[in-house]
Amino acid sequence: MATRDDIETWIARTALGDRRAFQNLYDHTSAKLFGISLRVLKDRAEAEDALQEVFVKIWHGSKKYTAGKASPMTWLITIARNHSIDRLRARKGDTEGDDKIAEMPDTAPGAEARVVAMGEAKRIEECFDTLEVDRAEAVRRAYLDGESYADLSERFSVPLNTMRTWLRRSLIKLRECLEP
Amino acid sequence: MPEDDRAKAGEYALGLMTRAEAAEFAARLDREPGLAALVARWQEDFAMLADEVEPVAPPARVRRRIEARLFDDTKSPRWLAPGVMGLLAASLALVLLFVPVGTGVRPPANPLYHADLASESGELILAAGYDGETGELYVIPELAPEEGTAHELWLIEGDNPPVSLGLMPADAPARVLLAPEQAQALQGAVLAISVEPPTGSPTGAPTGPVIATGEVMTL
Repeated sequence: MATRDDIETWIARTALGDRRAFQNLYDHTSAKLFGISLRVLKDRAEAEDALQEVFVKIWHGSKKYTAGKASPMTWLITIARNHSIDRLRARKGDTEGDDKIAEMPDTAPGAEARVVAMGEAKRIEECFDTLEVDRAEAVRRAYLDGESYADLSERFSVPLNTMRTWLRRSLIKLRECLEP
Repeated sequence: MPEDDRAKAGEYALGLMTRAEAAEFAARLDREPGLAALVARWQEDFAMLADEVEPVAPPARVRRRIEARLFDDTKSPRWLAPGVMGLLAASLALVLLFVPVGTGVRPPANPLYHADLASESGELILAAGYDGETGELYVIPELAPEEGTAHELWLIEGDNPPVSLGLMPADAPARVLLAPEQAQALQGAVLAISVEPPTGSPTGAPTGPVIATGEVMTL
């Protein structure tokens, strides 16, 4: 299992054009990122195409990664997720307009160094547990499956504006729980 | 931070905003570092949800496609073909002195070229990066030469005979200032390492076995 330091080093060396480091990065993270793309796209061939694009983005974007800011896995996961969602929305020909979400996660201004400790994954779970079940599920689906407000309002059979209100309230509650 | 912004930062990170909302919000991120930090925190927190996503090993073709797209390896160093080595005897050596960088190697701030020199079995022997601004080539040796030998670095441009770039340090990163014509020759060239006597090749051409080669990539 690669450590946070390993992954940071590989990203830093990838930024210098080091192919070997890039290969290490691929070997240790591609399965996770492929899992994420598959979850969003639910289509193997398309997830493969997405993964290819994601690693091309990582190769070219590695210079923008600032070690010690965002955790390296967060940076990689966000690239994979956002790219997969862009594809999903392009496929759907989404006219609602929420396509093209932030491509490169923002690691630069003022983002605190937050060491993702072992217990932290548990913490977000605990905070999700403070939400009503279907509201927690809506946030989870928005993140992991890339569902839009339209998808969510259909899934939970509530008007779009109700879904929007639900979700915003859930986000505020989550933030308060994560940072009391 | 107003409640509304905390929710908005979350919606932005989730990709739930409409295009117009997202564009407006993104514009604010540039001038409001606190807001950008909030988005980064959401990304960090949401990324933990990915813990529940099972890793799935992608098929090998994905990696091949990525490498084919990023690294065009169709050019092979023709000069390595058997018999060619003998023709290189009269080549000009330009042995430069490598300056050890000591601890904490400063990699190029603006790398223009990079080469990974690997053995036939794929083991990395030396990594090199050229900084276009300082005109220096940085080298990181990954394999020390055997006792009583030295590793010499060669620049091969097309079918021209190898030009020596000097002896490599045994185990510490080092840098060397390249002459402008050498720097110019780097583009599309191949770097190689041969095993030589401790004082370097006596002939000005590689005399010992070539243990590693790598194509110079433009970044």
